Amino acid sequence: MAERADFEDDVMEFAPQLYAAALRMTRNPSDAEDVLQESLLKAYRGYHTFVTGTNLKAWLYRILTNTFINKYRKQSRRPHEVELGDLEDFYLFKRLGDEGSAAARSAEDEALDRFVDEDIKAAVESLPENFRISVLLADVEGFSYKEIAEIMGVPIGTVMSRLHRGRKALQQALWQFVEEREASGS
Amino acid sequence: MNCDKTRHDLYIYIDGEATVLRRWRVRRHLRRCPPCEDGFVFEEHLKVRVRQGCREEIPRELVERLRTFLQGHAEDGM
Repeated sequence: MAERADFEDDVMEFAPQLYAAALRMTRNPSDAEDVLQESLLKAYRGYHTFVTGTNLKAWLYRILTNTFINKYRKQSRRPHEVELGDLEDFYLFKRLGDEGSAAARSAEDEALDRFVDEDIKAAVESLPENFRISVLLADVEGFSYKEIAEIMGVPIGTVMSRLHRGRKALQQALWQFVEEREASGS
Repeated sequence: MNCDKTRHDLYIYIDGEATVLRRWRVRRHLRRCPPCEDGFVFEEHLKVRVRQGCREEIPRELVERLRTFLQGHAEDGM
């Protein structure tokens, strides 16, 4: 069992990454702060139930995810599972360059560098909630499918399907930015 | 394995969730199929780019506010 007295030392080191995740979830700094504060309080209150030596990071992300969902899902009238159409393989890769050409790989990597961080953030934030959280936990936080399943309280198969569709939707959003930029001539 | 089957394993492969046997099958196909290999490499790079792009600095004042908040609750004896 964890000691409450150690809470600040143990947990505050995760505050920066929890804040980054809260920002992507809520899409604005003031809600992110609310979610983070409430999560830390819940974590503090429940810290004596946390088993030392188990996965503290996953435990904290479960609290953060639940806090976000309980706090904000009520406000959104969108259905929980939005249908995302399935896209072809390598959707973005195929559009950023001519697949198969000798120079293709380096050309697409350069194209990736042309996305600024704001594009990436906006694309992640454009995803419906469950897809956004899955992509965040996998790509940004590096959790395993099993950990994500435990954090989100869903079967691993659901995690895989959300990740699959979420990543494709993310590629579609990024490609939209490219098209909009080309259309506006910048 | 053909292209379709390999591409079906794309995410479990780049996420490190494929079994040893499936990883081996994917690698064997990628060595022989440059279009699939390029696609896989791109997807791996995109995953890294997403991680980098989502980095944030937490404001120093916010860290202070959170510490004060938690200490306030600690003193409540909750």
